Amino acid sequence: MISAMVFFPLLFALVLLCVPRDNGPLLKGVALAGALGTFAISLVLLPLAPGGVVQDSLNWINGAVGAAYHVRVDGISLWFVLLTTFVTVPAVWAAFAYRDAARLRGYLSLLLLFEWTLLGLFTADDLLLFYIYWDLMLIPVFLALVGFAGTPQARRAAWTYLIYNLAGGLVLLAGVIGLVLQTHTFEVLGHGYHLSPELARWLFAAFALAFLIKTPVFPLHAWMPPTYTQSPPSLVAMVSGVQSKAGLYAFIVFAMPLFPEAAHYFAPAMLVIAVCSILYGALLAIAETNAKTLVAYSSLSHLGFVLLALFAFNFTSLPASILMIVSHGIIAAALFTLLGFIEDRVGTNDLGAYGGLAAGAPRLAVFMLIAAMAALGLPGLSGFAGEFLILIGAWQTQPVYTSLALIAVVLAAVYALRLFQGAMHGPLREPAGVGPIADLRPREFWLVVPLLAAIFFLGIWPAWLNDRIPLPSQAASSHAATVERS
Amino acid sequence: MTFQGVNFDFAILGPILALVVAGLLVLLVDLVTRSVARGVLYGIGFAGCAAAFACMIPLYGRSVTTVNGAFATDRFSWGFSAILIGTLAVTLLLSSLRNADDGGSPGSYAALLIFCTIGGLIMAGATTLIGIFLGLEELSLALYVLAGSGYPRPASEEAALKYVLLGSLASGFLIYGSALLYGSAGSVSIAALAASAASLTPLFLTGFALLLVGLAFKLALSPFHLWTPDVYEGSPIAITAFMTVAVKAATFAVLARFVYTAFGHDSVALVPLWILAIASMLVGSFGALRQRNLKRLLAYSSISQAGFMVVALAGVGEYGLSSLLFYLVAYALMNLGAFAVIAMLGDGDEAYADIDAYRALFYRRPWVAVAFTLFLFSLAGIPGTAGFFGKVLLLEQGFGAGPWGVALGCALIAGSIVSIYAYFKVIWLMFVPQEGEQPVTAGNSPLSWIPIGLGVAGVIALGVIPQLFVSLVSAAP
Repeated sequence: MISAMVFFPLLFALVLLCVPRDNGPLLKGVALAGALGTFAISLVLLPLAPGGVVQDSLNWINGAVGAAYHVRVDGISLWFVLLTTFVTVPAVWAAFAYRDAARLRGYLSLLLLFEWTLLGLFTADDLLLFYIYWDLMLIPVFLALVGFAGTPQARRAAWTYLIYNLAGGLVLLAGVIGLVLQTHTFEVLGHGYHLSPELARWLFAAFALAFLIKTPVFPLHAWMPPTYTQSPPSLVAMVSGVQSKAGLYAFIVFAMPLFPEAAHYFAPAMLVIAVCSILYGALLAIAETNAKTLVAYSSLSHLGFVLLALFAFNFTSLPASILMIVSHGIIAAALFTLLGFIEDRVGTNDLGAYGGLAAGAPRLAVFMLIAAMAALGLPGLSGFAGEFLILIGAWQTQPVYTSLALIAVVLAAVYALRLFQGAMHGPLREPAGVGPIADLRPREFWLVVPLLAAIFFLGIWPAWLNDRIPLPSQAASSHAATVERS
Repeated sequence: MTFQGVNFDFAILGPILALVVAGLLVLLVDLVTRSVARGVLYGIGFAGCAAAFACMIPLYGRSVTTVNGAFATDRFSWGFSAILIGTLAVTLLLSSLRNADDGGSPGSYAALLIFCTIGGLIMAGATTLIGIFLGLEELSLALYVLAGSGYPRPASEEAALKYVLLGSLASGFLIYGSALLYGSAGSVSIAALAASAASLTPLFLTGFALLLVGLAFKLALSPFHLWTPDVYEGSPIAITAFMTVAVKAATFAVLARFVYTAFGHDSVALVPLWILAIASMLVGSFGALRQRNLKRLLAYSSISQAGFMVVALAGVGEYGLSSLLFYLVAYALMNLGAFAVIAMLGDGDEAYADIDAYRALFYRRPWVAVAFTLFLFSLAGIPGTAGFFGKVLLLEQGFGAGPWGVALGCALIAGSIVSIYAYFKVIWLMFVPQEGEQPVTAGNSPLSWIPIGLGVAGVIALGVIPQLFVSLVSAAP
């Protein structure tokens, strides 16, 4: 069942490669069917929440160190899976407008391959399987940046992306092997291991380094702005919407349960990193003139909140952080997709080059307004609920860091409004040579609607999601609680 | 059969004898019919490989000796010998391409290749210092000539000269070290060295150090690697492919036998080997970064890969040998596959040694580019390929083996991080969209699709179901 879902996009990616490249409608149909089909399968898992578990296990490697093909979806990974399948549908749909029709096939199959690796990651229950997907998911993005983004800057961005993340991955591999030599199996989840505190700290540091690079957070984010800015819109919607959550997921599911004591030991450092990311990201976003880079920096800031929540070790902050993760994924996907539409029309993302687009494209402007307001955390939209719950939760254990993080809430209003106003309000300005811009076409309109609907839904009824996240006793904070008591 | 007090078991010597017959037959046919087609000569060599491999099959899983104990088929030799024979077959295939450099005399070329492999088989099976030296010399002497078979290309002559000068110096170290080891143990048998290895007498240490220098030369472990890039670049492509895999397989067989038989535990005397390995991983990875010639790039890559493989021996552990074999098989698959791609695209000549020739290859020859990408992924250790599981196994050996093992494991990680750029540079070039006119790409020999196809299948199979091979190796005694 889970394997069927994980490999569904892979299957469709391979089918795509068999479709003749000049048969546009068929290509688009197959790709969208793949994305929709995966989403449909993942919806079947929804009734699992919060307490249910589905798993699938197959003997894989026996020997001195065993590993199993073990996939599993529980109340936590379910949300990451749903986020992936949900965001992929508009991403694939938006990719129909890829500028080079002859290359559409390759691009669509890369997107589906990317979805496969992400789903594999979020369902892997075996450390080896997890690691395999952890590295594999870099490949589609690297190839898309090299071959399908079309600018020299994007090809350079591919390098920073790959080297940062693969280097993190190899450090993670060292940590994985170091752990597995103690446990003698890659199936480490759900068991308590008595590691020496010193070793646990080293291993946690290796895990954390890889996870923090992938998220990314403050001093390790150098790969992010070029990658986000140079990626084609569909790709960046998936990278920012889903892949950036992989590191946080890995903290929740692997690093913190495996090394609870070390997680506490490193918590002050993590909190400092989180607050730095929150503030630094927000400040950079305020100063940034490229719309995509601005949203990239805002992600840096928002994901810092999640890290803050995780390492504040408070009971309410785990569900809140998952709410925040899902909400940020949807908002980022919506923002990057909309910015992609603008880029298609005016040919640039430089906020100084255009303005007043609301006059020519009112529907685009309204959608942009909703997404930007969600990003700044307007009550009633999904961004608010997660951020608010995180701040409340974190305040109880870490008031100092939380009050510092609060500054970013104000800063978020500045950059989100600047993004919206700069692009949409004021007198109409278009770069030379661009005709009057068109409003959203029906395809563009309908592909963004589900994302915005989800933003409203989670904003108005966050409890729907909150109630479907397992109690902390089943997850990371349980370890935290036991350590605190002992 | 016993002859003058020496017993010969032809079943055990079978693979070698099959190749001897094939080699002599090639020479004879070439002598009798001066104008026979190249394909016939290589075909004979190929048949010899098949016969040798057939002789290997009944020996699988056995541990027996012959020639009064001087030659063995056991867990140290079987896997390495199989790799050697397979490499010979692939090299013959690549040498049969239209523009391949075989010095204008395919008969002696093919025969030398076969004799070279026989030298490797002798090294893998030899249990005495004399046998090791004989095998090594047969391997090396034939290779010196083969390196220069690209005559009159000056780079090939240069390669041959450099190789013969430095190689014979290395042989000198090896034989002098063997003499001292004999002096310390009073026997040429490796097993007899165990006693002096345990007591670490100065004579033993000096002898082992000199022997290690000789072996490190052959493995291209840093700092004895200086000949490698030039020789690999100058030699004909097929010979370079052969050198990177066959010489390593044969020398690692010797090294593994030494480490396991004479030491049997993690000895202080092995520390120099660990240091050489760490240096190689770093030198090879950094050296590969700036290379624009693919043969030089793979030469540096092979330096760091040799360092990686030493990690398998770090703890002299139970699974060390099978980890080494796994990595060596993975390395043979991915490296021979990569060389097969280079050779095929240029129809055997040097046209595709320059990495700029690979720009936008994906859009001209998608399947070739995908196969090449897969081999490079495997060399870089990306999951889903054989190279990844190889590295996992090596890291397990390294991190499980005390401070030097941890240092080796960390060097492996560091080397892998550095070499990401070297391997992905080629992938990057292949996937960069086409600008300007399309260069013509010729080579598409169906024969070279055989090693490429086998390489792809092997790299994926070992990358997805490593158990296939792990159980095969653990079944060997």
